[in-house]
Amino acid sequence: MRSRVIAAALAVVALGVVAATASAGVQRAQGNTLTVWLQQDAQNGWPDIVAAANKQFQADHPGWTVSVQYQAWTDHLQKFDATIAGNDTPDVIEMGNTEMTKYMAAGAFSDLTSFKSQFANSSNWLSGLAKSGMYRGNVFGVPYYAGSRVITYRTDLFKKAGITKPPTSLAQFIVDAKKVGVMEKGVKGFAPLYVGGEDWYTALSFVYDFGGTIARTHAGKWVGALDSPKSVAGLTAFKAFFDATQSKSTATLDGTNPWPYTVFSQGLTAANYGPAWYTCCTGAKYKSVTGQFVMPSHTAGKPMPGFLGGSDLAVPAQSNAKAAAVAWIADFTSTQNERALEAKGNIPNATNLLGSSVNERAAARSWFVPQAKHWVDVENGNILKTMLSQILTGQLSVKQAAKVASQNITQTLNES
Amino acid sequence: MGAAAATASGWSRRRLTRERLLGGSVPYVLVAPVVLVMGAILGYPIYNLVRLSLQRYGLFELIQHHGTYIGLHNFGSVVHDPIFWHTLVRTIVFTVVNVGLTMGLGTLVALLLVRVSTWVRLLVTAGLVLVWAMPPVVAVQVWQWMTNSQNGVVNYILTELHVGDYFQHDWFVTPFSQLAMVTTLIVWGALPFVVITVYAALAQVPHELVEAAEIDGAPSWRIFKDVTMPVIMPVLLILTSLSVIWDFGVFTQPYLLIGQGHIVPSNYLMGIYLFEEGYVRTDFGRGAAISILMLAIVAAMSVVYVRRMLRVGEVE
Repeated sequence: MRSRVIAAALAVVALGVVAATASAGVQRAQGNTLTVWLQQDAQNGWPDIVAAANKQFQADHPGWTVSVQYQAWTDHLQKFDATIAGNDTPDVIEMGNTEMTKYMAAGAFSDLTSFKSQFANSSNWLSGLAKSGMYRGNVFGVPYYAGSRVITYRTDLFKKAGITKPPTSLAQFIVDAKKVGVMEKGVKGFAPLYVGGEDWYTALSFVYDFGGTIARTHAGKWVGALDSPKSVAGLTAFKAFFDATQSKSTATLDGTNPWPYTVFSQGLTAANYGPAWYTCCTGAKYKSVTGQFVMPSHTAGKPMPGFLGGSDLAVPAQSNAKAAAVAWIADFTSTQNERALEAKGNIPNATNLLGSSVNERAAARSWFVPQAKHWVDVENGNILKTMLSQILTGQLSVKQAAKVASQNITQTLNES
Repeated sequence: MGAAAATASGWSRRRLTRERLLGGSVPYVLVAPVVLVMGAILGYPIYNLVRLSLQRYGLFELIQHHGTYIGLHNFGSVVHDPIFWHTLVRTIVFTVVNVGLTMGLGTLVALLLVRVSTWVRLLVTAGLVLVWAMPPVVAVQVWQWMTNSQNGVVNYILTELHVGDYFQHDWFVTPFSQLAMVTTLIVWGALPFVVITVYAALAQVPHELVEAAEIDGAPSWRIFKDVTMPVIMPVLLILTSLSVIWDFGVFTQPYLLIGQGHIVPSNYLMGIYLFEEGYVRTDFGRGAAISILMLAIVAAMSVVYVRRMLRVGEVE
């Protein structure tokens, strides 16, 4: 009898708790505290800019304190959902540009259209990034910064292989990479280029380079388009590129474990394709021989379109300090701070602030994910990663894998 | 308890005294606090869970703090989802394998403990307690380091020992290998509890029975099957049923070891399916429906064991 109760109790605890409770990890904005959620990128890369914004804000708002809480990309949305349930949301939240649409559509954020003029350079916001923060013509997200993707490489190895200038076409890049590979074949585990096979930001750049796309809209519905001839051509080119430059063992890695720059710092690769800030972590030994160039397109002389990653800043609808939140965002995205972000290798949020760094040159051609409410579910459902590992391990042909992924994308994007 | 109460009222039927009244109600008074606490910490959440499962409750409703009742629609959509059935079958197989390995290995180690010298027993027990004390999240991290395809020590050692070329071998390529790695982690973590409990139960086996069987010339497996097993059966059954409950609803180990980036329908276990549908897709109503179905399944599975256990108790 008792054991039945114990068993039932344990079952209930095990399952009920998972489903029914959600704990909020934030402190409510009490009195004059502004709670800000930023990603760890800011904590690691530009804490000084955050401090500068806080200082400015506190100078203008005596008596206020700013509590900046750093979040991780992997779980910040689940945490945010929990705070919504508990009426405990932060006052400002950084959102990835691919994450915005779902939350704007559900009414999670305050409409900031009438405050737009308060934000520096708002008439020149990067159009791609600004679009990610807009829903039905209204502004819900203030562009924070963007980033494109570039090749980070070992200048010494390229030089030693007799390569005098960065490649300007994909074909040339493959030839160069092979040269480096042959030269370094004595180093066990060396790959001339290291990216995780499932790093879909890389793979889909090939799709867009060949004129393909992830999904189109047709008669008010989303239709997955990775199985279109152009997309398949791009994926096929990616597979060829991968096979020529990588060791097979990375086919099922997504480029976060280990990080590509870690492999770089261990001397096991000559190049990475990723965000420009990868230079941060290529290791003391190789710091002086770390260079960057724009990933070349298969069309000679052009850059390959890179994923335009970026972040927006939004004010959750439940915040009770909306005016202060807007003021803080304005301080954080001031011209001075955006210039400082640019100096750290990021793309600033407005065209009038653009410089000519390799990151900004790479952004001349870029692509972005479909702006569908359920796009974030495609990402979190790992549909693209599954497709890529199937292609690269040879489990399925490019066409078969692309077809399955396309069907899944169509289904996910059209969910009510 | 029921039987005891019946006899109590039987022999004192004719005397309706204060003592008898008090005597009859004492068990209920004693059990009342437990019932109240259970009701508060289990009943209320379950009530809410059931309510949630009957509602359309997504991100929009979360923000409004208000769901829409849609009857059994959530249950219908889960039951008609092929992923649910595939996940259920996978989870049952996973549970059977994990519980089987845990109980099998655990019993073997416990039997070993009986035979080894005190020193060895002390060392093994200390090792087991250390394993038991390790939080799952930490264990996952250690597993990930050891099996890392680029820098992991497992690949290094296997290659050095000439077991094969494990240079940059990825231990997480297919759903099967992913779940196999999770199995190693779970069985490793679950062994201490089983070993220590079974070892304690083995101490209850009357020595003279074993000796008598030995004198009669019974082989050791027969002694185990016919003498030892019946005595430790109740313990084995409760351990098995607890393990089933734990392994069926397991979440932490697979979610963290496989990693969010590699969680796909082809490697879902029920706990992960629930998390993906409920939290990641912010469809809380559907998530609640899944958790109620899981609850029903686990309850159904444990009923078999609990009933068998009760029967074993009666024979004794």
